[in-house]
Amino acid sequence: MNNSEKLNYYELLEVPVDASFFEIRHAYRDALLIYDEDSLSTYSLFPDEERAVLLKRIEDAFNILIDATKRSEYDEQLVKSGKLKPSERLTRYQDKSIPIFRTGSSAEKNIFFKKVQEKVKESDIKSLAEEIIAKELISGQDLKKLRKAIGIELEEIFEVARISISMLKAIENNKFHDLPSLVYLKNFLKSYAEILHLDSEKAVDGYIINLTLMQK
Amino acid sequence: MSCIYPIGGGKGGIGKSFIAANLGVLLAKQGNRVVLVDLDLGGANLHTFTGMPSVKTGIEKFLDKTVIDLTQVAVPTEINNLSIISSVNCSMEIANLFAAQKLKIIKAIQKLPFDYILLDLGAGTNYNTLDFFLSSNEGILLLTPEPTSIENAFKFIKAVYLRKVRQILNQREFKSVTDCITGNDNAIEMTARIIDAVAENDPEKGELLRKQLTEYQFKFIINQFRKTVDAKLGEKIEKVCNRYFYSKFHFLGNVCYDERVHESIYSKKIFINKYSYTVSAIDLSHIVKKLEKNRLAGRLESIGSHE
Repeated sequence: MNNSEKLNYYELLEVPVDASFFEIRHAYRDALLIYDEDSLSTYSLFPDEERAVLLKRIEDAFNILIDATKRSEYDEQLVKSGKLKPSERLTRYQDKSIPIFRTGSSAEKNIFFKKVQEKVKESDIKSLAEEIIAKELISGQDLKKLRKAIGIELEEIFEVARISISMLKAIENNKFHDLPSLVYLKNFLKSYAEILHLDSEKAVDGYIINLTLMQK
Repeated sequence: MSCIYPIGGGKGGIGKSFIAANLGVLLAKQGNRVVLVDLDLGGANLHTFTGMPSVKTGIEKFLDKTVIDLTQVAVPTEINNLSIISSVNCSMEIANLFAAQKLKIIKAIQKLPFDYILLDLGAGTNYNTLDFFLSSNEGILLLTPEPTSIENAFKFIKAVYLRKVRQILNQREFKSVTDCITGNDNAIEMTARIIDAVAENDPEKGELLRKQLTEYQFKFIINQFRKTVDAKLGEKIEKVCNRYFYSKFHFLGNVCYDERVHESIYSKKIFINKYSYTVSAIDLSHIVKKLEKNRLAGRLESIGSHE
């Protein structure tokens, strides 16, 4: 099935239409490793002339796809010839890197943040939040009250902020024996407050002052 | 349902018998009923790989009609569940098998009551080898990471394709098709041209040919793999072949080169038993897992199609 000529440049390099330049560079290198004349994997499979044609096409594909202007023109051609749906065509090419670690599903996180965002707009929650942040001393119970009012579970905070549940409980219950050193605590409080859409600076200060007074 | 795996590969000395014997032993140890068939006619030595210095009976008894059923000449080996049908006692002329005899053997093989039937084929691309290779819908192609072996493997694929075409077309049709290809054509170009030519004369046959070639599955193993070789060689070949040939290609894995293979053959012992802890042995067991999975998938599919 001699179909290399039927393939478009994306298919030839086996990259998606929205591939980043990084992915294209890698795909090009992989293709050369397979089709190069020294490659063992295709030894004797193609006659010299055919291999030359194939390599030329791979070279062309790379040169065009790696150049944003040329790539855009090429995409336009593909759209015109019906090989690419207009909706699939990218308007801007990104040199996005490929994530090595995937932590959690970002889609779920987005749903969570949206839910919170809408909830805090409600008037009673707004007034509760304003009431809390206006106080000089903010206790764990205040935070907990607001959290409950918004309807967030501790597990959900753990999922997005990666603060352990026992730590969150210690914060809410003012268990200063269980709390970490100040530098960690401040950061935990900051993340927690941000999730609740509280002014994090004020919330952290209020909490710390309250804690210091309680310890005395 | 039994799975027939012919093991071929064009080049000689790449380890077809070694792989056949040791895959057979491993499959049998998993509780499968396995038979090894030595179809390297005129160059039979598979029994030695299974630790047997000689075999009393074999295909010759089936061909001279001493026995009617090929199962009767399947000799048990020292491994439970593993039998061997040898051709070591066949006459000197056996390499030039008559077409009728060949057909008789193939039909008998397809009826053997075993879970796995492994056919050890000879080198080269003569009609016997190709027809035995095509006795199943999936064959195992063996290569070593050397240009000579790769070249022969691609030649072998080409020969298998041509033979498959010959099975579908009659003499006259075949002649007119082969007239349009030249010996220098590479395998890729050749198949495309043949199918085009057949389809032009007879669209129905062209479609049948395309369908049969698409359904055919080449599995392949890279033997005598060394650390210096590109670790992705198998995957690359799989990728290229799937892109350019009609059939499906499935890479089963590498089997590491090991001096002790030679030693086990020298001492006429089963490698996998004597050196079960070696990298090569572990490689072989990975391949066996894939074969078992493949058989299971095939059975599920056939159950599905009967419903």
